[in-house]
Amino acid sequence: MRILFLVQSEYAIETFDLTKIYRSRWTRREVRAVDGISLKVPRGTIFGLLGPNGAGKTTFVKSLLSAVHPTKGSAMIFGRDAKEPEARRPIGYLPENHRFPTYFTGNGMLDFYAALSGVESARRKKLIPELLALVGLEQWGSMRLGKYSKGMLQRVGLAQALIHSPSMLILDEPTDGVDPVGRRQIREILTRFEEKGVTIFINSHLLVEVEMFCREVAILHKGKVALSGTMHDLTAGKGYRLSVAQAPENLVNELRTKATSLAAKDGLVDFQFATRELVNEALDLVRAQHCEVEALAPTTSTLEEVFVRTVEK
Amino acid sequence: MTYSLITTVALIRDTFREAFARKIFWGLFGLSTLMILFFLFLLKIDLVEGAVATVSLFGAASSRTRDVDSLVRGVYGGIATFLYTWGMFLAVFASAGLIPSVLEPGRIELLLSKPVSRTHILLGRYLGNVLVISCNVIFLVLGVWTILGVKTGIWSKTFLVSIATSIFIFAVLLSVVVLIGVLFESAALATMVTVGLMIMSPILAQTSTMLRLLSSEWSRQIWRTLYYALPKVYDLGKMTLDAIQSQTFSGYMPIWTSALFGAVMLSAALAIFARRDF
Repeated sequence: MRILFLVQSEYAIETFDLTKIYRSRWTRREVRAVDGISLKVPRGTIFGLLGPNGAGKTTFVKSLLSAVHPTKGSAMIFGRDAKEPEARRPIGYLPENHRFPTYFTGNGMLDFYAALSGVESARRKKLIPELLALVGLEQWGSMRLGKYSKGMLQRVGLAQALIHSPSMLILDEPTDGVDPVGRRQIREILTRFEEKGVTIFINSHLLVEVEMFCREVAILHKGKVALSGTMHDLTAGKGYRLSVAQAPENLVNELRTKATSLAAKDGLVDFQFATRELVNEALDLVRAQHCEVEALAPTTSTLEEVFVRTVEK
Repeated sequence: MTYSLITTVALIRDTFREAFARKIFWGLFGLSTLMILFFLFLLKIDLVEGAVATVSLFGAASSRTRDVDSLVRGVYGGIATFLYTWGMFLAVFASAGLIPSVLEPGRIELLLSKPVSRTHILLGRYLGNVLVISCNVIFLVLGVWTILGVKTGIWSKTFLVSIATSIFIFAVLLSVVVLIGVLFESAALATMVTVGLMIMSPILAQTSTMLRLLSSEWSRQIWRTLYYALPKVYDLGKMTLDAIQSQTFSGYMPIWTSALFGAVMLSAALAIFARRDF
């Protein structure tokens, strides 16, 4: 499948001080659903947007798609103002809690949404069976959506998002309701599209999936970006922590080259090592200099831990 | 085909698909078919030397000799009146759900994520809705016209005017349905308001009598304003009836004032839809 759209910017998504304030009609009480988010999502990456319920994830995504009008700030999609309908042409979107009309068959639904994306009739006829086969629903094309299970709806929804060969996929809880085998299939499909240079933006609460799949992550909390970075950097704490008492400077400098991070406090230096081999080498050096080991412990910093630490701050 | 045309066709086809699925199309089509069958099988007209000798309905014959032309015009007038009253009521009732349904959470977000402007989405839906009703109006009027034409040999083209006027007044009333739908997402409220306007129309049309009866100038002014501002379903129906039965035409005012009302309603609906968050 080819990627149809020419893109103009090195970023798939750029937001500048994006803010959405909801005001109640009568009391004029304000809720800042999105509060000054400035975010850059590079082209071709798999980006995960995380956050607890009510953090503003869905409002942020809807602002990108112009389903919600920002109160302040702006959003660009591949360098185009997100308000322009044309900015949405390179996007394939799968909403959370989607409600596809049940009068559609799988074929009919794909045909309708592909037509809305400007795909010509002859091309639609060719693409629909291909996409249904891709998501494992080739036998179900002529069946009404009312007969589909939740997992099947999710898969046909993914086919809908892919049918116009988008340059970016925005997926809101893409594996919601899908069984483990189906999840794996979806991950494989998305990986194939990532290899073709498609940017994938995932909004999910399944941290394990996001950790497995995403290259970059932003954690939203109370409408703001509480933490963002590459998955590697955010979970760099995974490994071993070695605490050394009264370490001389030459030892610290030598260990610094092997460690991923270090922190000094009250005469103790904590070194973080990524692998068992590295921590053993470090231990040999510490012993060779007759320094005392205060503590040695394996550390794990899963995305879940990073997430919990971030939202509980 | 341009992107714009592909999208418009898709939106219209979707409205038809939903009208079929909700049995709206088939319900109206069934009623139209019943009416056509009524004229085809139950109404028997015997002509002798250019005049109606007997008319039989359900087998019971009336031997009153009448002019064929006036009988045909009478039937056409009856059909046109039906279209303007019960026909419009049924059309509004049937269509009222087609606008709020696209605004349902989970459905509207996906529509808005496509490279289509909100104006285009709403107008596509509106046009699809008008076409669903138009198909039925054309089927009914052409069917009755053909049957009466074949039975009597009279092919009165003025009856066909009722196709255009029925579709026109439906398009005007649908603009109210669209506005209420976009504002409140309620099919029931949209039906109530629109039917309310239809009921008010024959009352407001008694302008000359009411202006004589009303004592204060401000109440006369309110009456005049309401009469000119609101759609003239009654006046347009009467205009069509006059055109069919006596081939007279009483002026364009009901047409352009109703068209203006429809345009204002539709523009308001588009403006509100463009600003809403979903």
